[in-house]
Amino acid sequence: MEVIISKENKLVTAALVGRLDTPASQEIAPQIESLKADAAGTIVLDCSQLSYISSSGLRIFLSLRKAAAEKGGKVIVRNISNEIRSVFMMTGFLNLFEIQ
Amino acid sequence: MKNVDNNRKSYLRRSTWAGLMLVLVAGLTLAATSLIQYYYSKKGIVAEATKRAETQLEATRYRVMDVIDQTEAAVRNSLWIAQWCLDVPDSLSRVCQRVVEGNPVVVGSTVALVPGHSRRYPLYAPYVCREADTIAFKTLATADYDYPSQEWFVKPLETGSGYWSEPYIDEGGGEILMTTYSEPVSDRYGRQAAVITGDISLEWLADFTGHIDIYPNAICLMTSRTGHLMMSPEQDQALQQSVAEGVDVFRESEEFKQLQQAMLSGESGNAVLTAGKIKRFTFYAPIERTGWFMCIVIPEDDIFGSIRKTDRIVKLLQALGLLMLILILQALVRSQSKYRTLNKNKEKIENELHIASSIQMSMIPQVFPPFPERHDLDIAADIVPAKEVGGDLYDYFIRDEKFFFCLGDVSGKGIPASLVMAVTRSMFRTLSAHEDSPSVILSNLNNSLAAANETDMFVTFFLGVLNLTDGHLTYCNAGHNPPMILTDSIVTLPVEANLPLGVLKGMDFVEQEVQMHYDDALFLYTDGLSEAENLAHEQFGVYRIEAALHGRKNAFDHLKNMQKHVTDFVGNAPQSDDLTMLFLHYLGCETTASEHRITLDNEVSQISRLASFMDDVCENTGLDSGVAMNLNLAIEEAVTNVVLYAYPKGTHGTVDITAVKNDGSLEFTITDGGVPFDPTAAPEPDISASVEDRPIGGLGIHLVRTIMDKVSYEYKDGKNILTLIKNL
Repeated sequence: MEVIISKENKLVTAALVGRLDTPASQEIAPQIESLKADAAGTIVLDCSQLSYISSSGLRIFLSLRKAAAEKGGKVIVRNISNEIRSVFMMTGFLNLFEIQ
Repeated sequence: MKNVDNNRKSYLRRSTWAGLMLVLVAGLTLAATSLIQYYYSKKGIVAEATKRAETQLEATRYRVMDVIDQTEAAVRNSLWIAQWCLDVPDSLSRVCQRVVEGNPVVVGSTVALVPGHSRRYPLYAPYVCREADTIAFKTLATADYDYPSQEWFVKPLETGSGYWSEPYIDEGGGEILMTTYSEPVSDRYGRQAAVITGDISLEWLADFTGHIDIYPNAICLMTSRTGHLMMSPEQDQALQQSVAEGVDVFRESEEFKQLQQAMLSGESGNAVLTAGKIKRFTFYAPIERTGWFMCIVIPEDDIFGSIRKTDRIVKLLQALGLLMLILILQALVRSQSKYRTLNKNKEKIENELHIASSIQMSMIPQVFPPFPERHDLDIAADIVPAKEVGGDLYDYFIRDEKFFFCLGDVSGKGIPASLVMAVTRSMFRTLSAHEDSPSVILSNLNNSLAAANETDMFVTFFLGVLNLTDGHLTYCNAGHNPPMILTDSIVTLPVEANLPLGVLKGMDFVEQEVQMHYDDALFLYTDGLSEAENLAHEQFGVYRIEAALHGRKNAFDHLKNMQKHVTDFVGNAPQSDDLTMLFLHYLGCETTASEHRITLDNEVSQISRLASFMDDVCENTGLDSGVAMNLNLAIEEAVTNVVLYAYPKGTHGTVDITAVKNDGSLEFTITDGGVPFDPTAAPEPDISASVEDRPIGGLGIHLVRTIMDKVSYEYKDGKNILTLIKNL
């Protein structure tokens, strides 16, 4: 699992590459934590290369979304596959994120 | 080598003795036969000589007797007329003339009056003899020849009968050898009045005496009654001398005296006389009335010359034969001893290699069961070596829960094959110590064998690596007989056509794999089994192998059963090749074909293993990737829950996951020995709540419930058992 973070003005993009299962979630947790500093702006989570997500991954997404909500920023989830979209659907996450 | 030298020496000694004895026996036999032959030949030759000599004697005797008889007759026939003329002495010369003229053998004759018989002539002896072609008239009554004292005159009167005189040289009548026969003449009153004689020449004796041609140096002699040689002075001087020498020597020998006695008593016979170093055979016969003896003297050398010559040649040939026998024996002994030394050395080497081979064999695992503590593996293997040292091998060991096993057959037989086998086996062990891939192991093994292969030997080889955890078998077959795999049916394991090991360096070996399940088995064998021949030259064949593998048995009994089958089939035919078998019965991963199982430790990192497990399950079930990911997610959520919370922090525990495909559904069972916890009892999260109200946890069990069709929990035998069913 890999997270590639890039910043452009106030837009921060994090590309998630690989499987975001429980061990991977623990692995990337510090990087996601650092993203919260920019939670006042817009954070784009690029999921084009995300092949799998478990509840631990969803939890990371949620914690980031909560931080943004506190600071008045927003989290955009971009390019999710159908499989992951169905997981978002099952968990009601589709309503929590702006999906592009 | 010292021992061999000693053996060789002692062998040489024994061989030399045997050879000497052989030569001795051969020599003795030859000597004995030639002695016997010589003895009988000699006997025959003596008989032959005797016959020849006696024939000669007899012939000569008849000739002499003829002359003697004629002479006696001539004298006797004139007796009556001499008697009648006694009174008229002057007419007596007429009587003599008649005797001479009427008998050609008689050369002279006289009628000598006894002194005083006639008053007119005190001594009167008219003598008539042949002289050249005429008849001469002489008288013996001369002053210097005192006829009344002569032997021819005295003896007849003494004995009153005819008498043959000693031979004498006639000095008056031409120096010839002569003898005289005389008869007494009585007057009409019966008084002895005169002696009538007939002289004969003995010159003709020369025809019979001297050299005779029956043998080169044979001599015929005639002696008078006093033992004097009857010989004319005109006869050959050299002969005379040689005969005289011989006879002189005889005369001094004891034998001759006895011989003479025998002759005097009128016997005929033969004797061997020794004079100096020369032996002579003497054959003698008397001549009646004259007191003469004839004898034929033959030097022994003449008689035995030819046989002695033959004997010498025979002895020479025998000696040559014996010499050759000795030479041949010597050559034989040498080559034999060399051969024996070679043989001894060969035996020694073979013996040592047999020992080496059995040491190698003893390194090959031969204790069964080899892993008594394991219940997931039942192994049996056996090598039935042919008479010769062979090159079959098998080996196996367990490393990192993987069972490495191999079985191979080195081309050819004998010592080189067994050496290659030993090398192959030890390389297998070395190369498998850190490498799991059969193709890599075989490539390296092949390169090593091919590099060192100067004898063009190769090894057919099967190598398998069985993951004991999940029954996954990877294997590589290098030109060996494909093993049989026993599942629901018994079939030949599919194998790639790889070359045998040691043929070509740098070869790639294609690796294959097969999933083994609980109760599956593999049977590996060498062509010593499939090509075992009976007396009709039929081969045991793969189908008989397959037939013999039916029925449930443990590995050891399978091998015993196979051995019995092949033994019954082969009968009395000799085993020509090593027969090697390995039976592997897999009893791990107790799942059916539709069953999957994995065990994880209670660590988060272990969850990564789930992905490939779930891939296998979904692939086998034929699910699409969307469903597969959802299932993966549900199982991960359930397992994560156990990993994170079932066991108290810092304690070790495991979680077992099995997946069973049933008709129309896929059933997962997640079992752990942690604290009792029923996830199904957890409340449903509110998934419609706002971001602010959303709880962080609780999503996992929600996902499980959403994805799976049935979720049930029980706590049994100290275990949490969560059953998740997905309808297909």
